[in-house]
Amino acid sequence: MAAGPAPPPGRPRAQMPHLRKMERVVVSMQDPDQGVKMRSQRLLVTVIPHAVTGSDVVQWLAQKFCVSEEEALHLGTVLVQHGYIYPLRDPRSLMLRPDETPYRFQTPYFWTSTLWPAAELDYAIYLAKKNIRKRGTLVDYEKDCYDQLHKKINHAWDLVLMQAREQLRAAKQRRKGDRLVIACQEQTYWLVNRPPPGAPNVLEQGPGRGSCAASRVLMTKSADFYKREIEYFRKALGRTRVKSSVCLEAYLSFCGQRGPHDPLVSGCLPSNPWISDNDAYWVMNAPTVAAPTKLRVERWGFSFRELLEDPMGRAHFMDFLGKEFSGENLSFWEACEELRYGTQAQVPTLVDAVYEQFLAPGAARWVNIDSRTMEQTLERLRQPHRYVLDDAQLHIYMLMKKDSYPRFLKSDMYKGLLAEAGIPLETKRRVFPFTWRPRHSSPSPALLPTPVEPTAACGPGGGDGVA
Amino acid sequence: MAREECKALLDGLNKTTACYHHLVLTVGGSADSQNLRQELQKTRQKAQELAVSACARLTAVLRDRSLAADERAEFERLWVAFSGCLDLLEADMRRALELGAAFPLHAPRRPLVRTGVAGASSGVAARALSTRSLRLEAEGDFDVADLRELEREVLQVGEMIDNMEMKVNVPRWTVQARQAAGAELLSTVSAGPSSVVSLQERGGGCDPRKALAAILFGAVLLAAVALAVCVAKLS
Repeated sequence: MAAGPAPPPGRPRAQMPHLRKMERVVVSMQDPDQGVKMRSQRLLVTVIPHAVTGSDVVQWLAQKFCVSEEEALHLGTVLVQHGYIYPLRDPRSLMLRPDETPYRFQTPYFWTSTLWPAAELDYAIYLAKKNIRKRGTLVDYEKDCYDQLHKKINHAWDLVLMQAREQLRAAKQRRKGDRLVIACQEQTYWLVNRPPPGAPNVLEQGPGRGSCAASRVLMTKSADFYKREIEYFRKALGRTRVKSSVCLEAYLSFCGQRGPHDPLVSGCLPSNPWISDNDAYWVMNAPTVAAPTKLRVERWGFSFRELLEDPMGRAHFMDFLGKEFSGENLSFWEACEELRYGTQAQVPTLVDAVYEQFLAPGAARWVNIDSRTMEQTLERLRQPHRYVLDDAQLHIYMLMKKDSYPRFLKSDMYKGLLAEAGIPLETKRRVFPFTWRPRHSSPSPALLPTPVEPTAACGPGGGDGVA
Repeated sequence: MAREECKALLDGLNKTTACYHHLVLTVGGSADSQNLRQELQKTRQKAQELAVSACARLTAVLRDRSLAADERAEFERLWVAFSGCLDLLEADMRRALELGAAFPLHAPRRPLVRTGVAGASSGVAARALSTRSLRLEAEGDFDVADLRELEREVLQVGEMIDNMEMKVNVPRWTVQARQAAGAELLSTVSAGPSSVVSLQERGGGCDPRKALAAILFGAVLLAAVALAVCVAKLS
């Protein structure tokens, strides 16, 4: 196989895990005692061994993995679609039939692999061979591919033809049965890797997937190799781990808490602007709006970060702190954020301003930081950069979170805000049927479609809402 | 002449690479054996010898500044074909290393895949080495040492390719293929019996076989008619 296109920089090519699992299944099928029963295929005069029937494969899978016949059939079909087993009678239809149809195993060289992707040069050689064998009668899409390749890798065309002729001559040195088998294997390989138009491509990967560790075959393991392995495992031991039971509980509680707030899961009121063309939802949930909705005010109670990230929430919190005479904490935090995310040119002036206002002894709005952090910060202020106040900012943040935030949530001010905040009404249904808009028009994609809405008059937009 | 010599070396390398590819196809399958591994070793060593000599000749010619333009174009075409061939060889060698390590023969960790290919591949190897026939007897633990050597050779070939690219700079887009699409159909070298090997497994009958059967049948029929005539004459 020629070298395929280079992998994106920084990520070595690796075999996808599902392909490795399929390889293991196929290898366990080869066990002489516990593998699949093999038969021989008889063709006029030649006898070719190692054929299996579809029903044998399904039964073996059902027995080995203790699954139902249906699931075993599906597993077998996946194996055939990826080219690990190929049908002998109808080579172009890659599916598993649970009857007497014969199949055979693919040779490991031609196993589907993301580690060794199929290259254009090899496909060109295969098409040239087929052209010679079939005297120019290629299938339509193969003819198109052939012409395309002739244009694309024109410089290597001499090599393509030379190799095609030589490979055919080399194949003639084998006996007839082997020649047939190898030709079938190659055909299946190219059916999987360059599927005809309309057939599903099993090797399509979504964007940004496949970040599995690559491992090159190394026969001589040097001291460097072992040093790298030791380093890798030491780092792996040091990683923090959380039990999946803890993770999953946290995940469940997160979903339960956030479910009613998610517009895709629970619908959005007054109506989904994308469907009803009414942008009241966006207007009501703008960052700075006089009357935040009830859901929004509820969200401020979920975590301190939610409160601070919402401009209205932050404003109300500042009012509350003003009443408690600890507003300088939030102001200091905001000033630190400005330093971190501001421009580089402003850094020295900002640092000075912050020092004057918040940190100097006897400052107007002196913040209460513990002595150790204060000493360290004052040391570091001699060489100011944008992260010089990080420790102090974190200290103040934790102080507000542990102290002021719970009091805010219990305060009358917050309760008043909750009571005032209203739930927007759904858009009213119009009187005339042909102006009806679908209600709650963002049905959850997770729920099954319920044919409730009158779709006759709604047109394509409404139809999408119900479908 | 230099051109004929280079062409001959390139043809030899091409042939050996094609045979090597054909042999690597069966590694890990039911035809895998120590003999196959030894044939692979001999084939790739021959290929490497040819590659080294071709590389030396072509590099010497292409680094020569006093070359006419059309001759230069010719040699550049040979160069592109040669480097493509070497890439194919290197990829096949890497593949052989990976498959050989995954399916060790001496202390087999897993059974070989039963692919239906059962015959010997000595014919292919003999063609690669340009001998009439090949008889090899490999020891039981040949593949263990062979894999280490193969790893070294893969690195060597990789280095050779890198050196080649450093010494001679032939941009691929300047080379145009001489043969048009479909040129292989005009040559009748590979047409003939190989085209009769069809992929339909239902009716695998070859025409020569059918012709032979027809001739035999005709002969038997004639003999029967002659006998009948004799019997009729006698009675």
